[in-house]
Amino acid sequence: MYPQRIVTSWLAALLLAAGATAAHAQQLTIITSFPKDLTEAYKRAFETRNPGVKVEVLNRGTSAAIAYVREAPATNKPDVFWASAPDAFEVLNKENLLAKVADLANPAVPKKVGAYPVNHPGGFYLGQALAGYGLMWNTRYMKANRLPEPKEWVDLMKPVYFGHVAISSPSRSGTTHLTIETILQGEGWEKGWQQVLMITGNSAAVTERSFGVPDGVNNGQFGIGLVIDFFGLSAKASGFPVEFVYPSMTSIVPANIGLVANARNPDMGRKFIAFALSPEGQEILLDPKIRRLPVLPATYQKAPADYPNPFGGKVKAKVNFNSELSESRYYVVSSIFDQTITFRHRELVAATKAIHEATARLAGKKNPEAQKLLEEARELAFAPIVSEAKSKDKEFLALFRDTKRDALKTKQLTGLEEYWNSTARKNYVRAAELANRAAAMAR
Amino acid sequence: MEKQRQVPVEFANVSLSYGATRVLHDVSVTIEPGEFFALLGPSGSGKSTLLRLLAGFLQPDTGTIRVAGADITRVSPWDRDIGMVFQNYALWPHMTVAQNVAFGLVERKLPRAEIETRVAAALELVGLKEFGARRPGQLSGGQQQRVALARTIAIEPKVLLLDEPLSNLDAKLRVHMRTELFELQRKLGITTIFVTHDQEEALSISDRVAVLDGGVIQQVGSPMELYDNPANRFIANFVGTINLLRGTLERDGERGVFRSPVLGEVPLGRTAAPAGSAEIAVRPHTLKLVAPDAPDEPGRSWVAGTVAEREFLGEFVRYTLRVGNAELVADQPHFIGERGFAPGVAVKVGVNPAQVKIL
Amino acid sequence: MSTRITWPQVAIAAAIGLFLFAFLVVPVLTVIYVAFVDGTGGFTLSHFVSFFHISLMRESFWNSLYVATLSVVFATIIAVPLAYFTARFQFRGALLIQTLGILPLIMPPFVGAIAMQLIFGRSGSVNLLLNDWFGFTLPIMDGLNGVIFVEAIHYFPFILMNLVVALNNIDSSMEESALNLGASGMRLFRRIVFPLAMPGYIAGAALVFIKVFDDLGTPLVLNVTNMLAPQAYLRITSVGIEDPIGYVIGVFMIVFSLVALWASALVLKGREYATMQRGYSGLAKRRLTPWQGVFAYGWIVLVLALVLAPHLGILMLSLAKVWSFSVLPEGFTLQHYATVFQDSPRMIWNTLLYCGIAAGIDVVLGTAIAYLILRTRVPARLSLDFIATAALAIPGVVLAIGYLRTFRGMELPFTDDLLTSSWLLLVVAYSIRRLPYALRSCLAALQQMHVSLEEAAENLGARKSRAIVRVVVPLMAGGILAGFVTSFMTAAVELSATLMLVTAQHDAPMSYGIYLYMQSAAGRGPGAALGVLAVAIVAIGTYLSHRLIERREAEKQSQPLARIEV
Repeated sequence: MYPQRIVTSWLAALLLAAGATAAHAQQLTIITSFPKDLTEAYKRAFETRNPGVKVEVLNRGTSAAIAYVREAPATNKPDVFWASAPDAFEVLNKENLLAKVADLANPAVPKKVGAYPVNHPGGFYLGQALAGYGLMWNTRYMKANRLPEPKEWVDLMKPVYFGHVAISSPSRSGTTHLTIETILQGEGWEKGWQQVLMITGNSAAVTERSFGVPDGVNNGQFGIGLVIDFFGLSAKASGFPVEFVYPSMTSIVPANIGLVANARNPDMGRKFIAFALSPEGQEILLDPKIRRLPVLPATYQKAPADYPNPFGGKVKAKVNFNSELSESRYYVVSSIFDQTITFRHRELVAATKAIHEATARLAGKKNPEAQKLLEEARELAFAPIVSEAKSKDKEFLALFRDTKRDALKTKQLTGLEEYWNSTARKNYVRAAELANRAAAMAR
Repeated sequence: MEKQRQVPVEFANVSLSYGATRVLHDVSVTIEPGEFFALLGPSGSGKSTLLRLLAGFLQPDTGTIRVAGADITRVSPWDRDIGMVFQNYALWPHMTVAQNVAFGLVERKLPRAEIETRVAAALELVGLKEFGARRPGQLSGGQQQRVALARTIAIEPKVLLLDEPLSNLDAKLRVHMRTELFELQRKLGITTIFVTHDQEEALSISDRVAVLDGGVIQQVGSPMELYDNPANRFIANFVGTINLLRGTLERDGERGVFRSPVLGEVPLGRTAAPAGSAEIAVRPHTLKLVAPDAPDEPGRSWVAGTVAEREFLGEFVRYTLRVGNAELVADQPHFIGERGFAPGVAVKVGVNPAQVKIL
Repeated sequence: MSTRITWPQVAIAAAIGLFLFAFLVVPVLTVIYVAFVDGTGGFTLSHFVSFFHISLMRESFWNSLYVATLSVVFATIIAVPLAYFTARFQFRGALLIQTLGILPLIMPPFVGAIAMQLIFGRSGSVNLLLNDWFGFTLPIMDGLNGVIFVEAIHYFPFILMNLVVALNNIDSSMEESALNLGASGMRLFRRIVFPLAMPGYIAGAALVFIKVFDDLGTPLVLNVTNMLAPQAYLRITSVGIEDPIGYVIGVFMIVFSLVALWASALVLKGREYATMQRGYSGLAKRRLTPWQGVFAYGWIVLVLALVLAPHLGILMLSLAKVWSFSVLPEGFTLQHYATVFQDSPRMIWNTLLYCGIAAGIDVVLGTAIAYLILRTRVPARLSLDFIATAALAIPGVVLAIGYLRTFRGMELPFTDDLLTSSWLLLVVAYSIRRLPYALRSCLAALQQMHVSLEEAAENLGARKSRAIVRVVVPLMAGGILAGFVTSFMTAAVELSATLMLVTAQHDAPMSYGIYLYMQSAAGRGPGAALGVLAVAIVAIGTYLSHRLIERREAEKQSQPLARIEV
């Protein structure tokens, strides 16, 4: 074949392919943070039921997905937004990026799970599955390191788990954001942060992706991970030596599905949402690779016996998640976590280690001076950098929420973040020093 | 292959420069129909450039090139119908010999059958009938050249150009191919121009030769004219070996007398050259050496010298002589049993006035 | 070379120029522009000030430098002994070393990283064994260490190959005279051999530095985000396309690439003596002494083990039922391959399609630019070469950011699809990024071809275009093919631009698919299977092209053209 012909055929292929992209009349675009196992199953099921329809899946992390919907030009929005974090939907809704879908709600779905409404009261997004947050651990890892099985978040603060825990960052993972919010709401702002700081101080890593945590637990890099339930349940169902529990201080919140405003193919988007809520669509959630909690109570009858059923009282969630509160401080929580934990993890871990060691040394000994130093160290290491009062300050919150920032505000914001970061670093270093001094006094 | 229509080629006032470098300057020459014409010159003289202008790979800054009377100066190379055999043969290694030869015919969209016939004929003409299926890489240098030749003449060009056709062959093959080229040209009758830096090659087979130097044509003429009547010092020096001597020419009626510190007084025959400062050229083989005590042969003027060096070249011995403070080269035929003159020996040199050329 | 500049030449040059301008110059300038303007369009350095005010950015900045530098150091430690053994000693390991030089390159580093985690990670095979036997573990894969380790193992062949060539080019007499004057052993190596081989080393080292600096996939897979490339990616995808910090990072990445290239060019310029006086390289390769033999083979075996680790790891993962907290997986299955072929044949096809088109564009452009440079006098032809080669210094992340910004909201003609969400842009990004390789290959091929071969065709009645199609291109075929394969293979395993430019799963190539699969517990197996398939495709392609080129070379050996100077 002459090169000329090769070129021609390439060009032809190019044009053909471009033409194929053009024929999207029956194309449905879903933007989601869900893994391929789940999206692939829905895609296949939906395409089988609707011949001629092509489902396009845009796989993005939750925050990247929000950015994508926001930045896509009006003529080119994806159709369906599908993710775990209800606050992500709140963000979209506040920016008028969602269309009403109240009429698509499946009447067989209960109005509430616990005290939490399954569907958005305004009808802008619907609960499609339920998700709780919990602990997942690798049984072999635990056995090899002779670790007891944890039951509650607070267990993870214990020195025995130092270096064995993994968590993701709320800025990277919507589900981690929910977990952190659940703790903050369940325990209160100050105590909540203290717990979060102590747990992360015990962590081996703050992973980049939410999946980094279950992945690390699955292959034994980490002992225990803070994860959304289906990560643990599906891994267990896929044969990994892992266990999962819901701590009592958890919340069950819906993973939602919504129609993007100005969608290119709203009819098909609505059809998909209806399908996802139908008995057939709900049943897909039971797949061992997926293992999510359906919103349709009837579906649980088809599930294996040990399947957690939030409607049957098997999962007790003490926290009634307040998504409005969560949404109002969404970026603040992410930013505090990143500046004081993710980016200063090394110093935090060092401080935690020093505090654990000092505590162990001082155990059973009376040394008020050392105890005082240790207390001071704890205070420095584990007190939140932002007070509860400040976290409710409207002006403060607005600074984080504005998406269009002028140079001044950007400077203000980066200045604040930088202050948090450097202060946290200073505090952790100082805390480690104090703890070491306290430990030295123990002899 | 049949004898082709013979066409003339004409360069008229052709000049070409690359920036400040003058490559060709006001070159005008006409090549006659059917002529075997050589472009001779040292490297950098512009001879190859002239050939490439004719082939169309270069365009002159000014001047006109005509083939068969038609101006082709601005015609694209592929529309010229002028066949060229490249110095390196430029055979395409990715094609067989037959495919190489068929190339021009395919480009001319001839019917398949005709292409086959003409390829076979061309290969037969160069004696490579059996080699069509081979790759060029599998042939010897001489065979490759024949393929290149066959490829060019297969298209029956109006003019055949040969760029240093023999330079890549070994000495023996060179002489052989020279004859073959000559015979082929006579057979086809095609106007042929070939470029060479080897004067022996040029003189031996061409009808006429143009000698170039510094982008200027120095002389055009038959090989014998160039040899016998070099137009200037450059030609005299470049074509064959020669002794050049400065002196003064004095006129004695129609006759001339050349006076120089080396030769003293040499009476010349009839000449039209004006009196005054002059230079003469004498071919080495026209000089005669004898022992100093030998009697002067009539018809020559004699001068004394010493043998400085001698080179034995087989057919003759080349002596470098010291005459006064100048050097002369003299070639003496060698015969079995003759010992010649040893270096350092004094000799007498005889100059034949009829063989002296005033420049 | 014809003196005449023809319209087709100018038109082709203009078309190539336009393509490079639109898809390379403008996007890169856009990135730089955005980094330097404030909201009202005025010049400002405030984004840079902000950048250095954010400690994460400062940290990322130093981490990127640290990782790139240490990767070069470790790659050097691995490569230098290997290169020296091959070039100076006569032993059977040379073939092994050649293999070592190719093996890592056929696997994308981020795929390798997954496997390395399983083998060298916190609870990887090696550390589990170490812990069992000796009671300690090595934090090889923790944080930045892991990135350095993976990158060094992946990219040391660049140094190895450049160094072997450089060593072979050193005139044997230089070493012999040093030996003659009494230098030997390490001293000889340090004082004579290494300085002379420096240009080759620097060229390889600069390449490693640039590659590591640009790599996005490896840090992401290893959960390291405090480096520049991941930060640029995260900034742009989560904070949004308006975030100026992403652009500032882009500017830094370009600057570092340029500095690395410039430094290597500088060193090369000053030190051309290494190859200048090249006599016949008749240096008899020495025999290994027994101790040298132990060291040489020991080193080779060690490196081979390291190099093979990711390959074996990914293969085992692709066949494993479950692999968790154990030295080896328990139970093997082919199910993951079945899953891949059932779910994602499209991705394999996409990779072949995109990389095929991109490599096709590259060789067409490469051939055209090479032709314009070597065979015409079209004005600005050298600028084309310069711009095309400059793509080498543009990190994939930066190019992708430039595309997202420049073509934001632009729609494909005749459709209402966004250009930025079309796979065509991905193909263009691939082709721009691989163009320098294809161009070098085409230039070399055309340079070797005597101009008379083309003139002969024209002389026989072939128009310019016909001569190019029938003679020039077929004769360049070896070089073109080499260029095509290089472009194709490297594009097939590229993730930096891919991760940023792929929007829909349907349009995703394998590299993206591997990354995506790896995001779920059940996807690890299929992800690894897809990785193995990608490696297989690249390996088969490399092997076939190697064979083809070798055969063509053999054919050319029998052609005498090269010996004539006109």
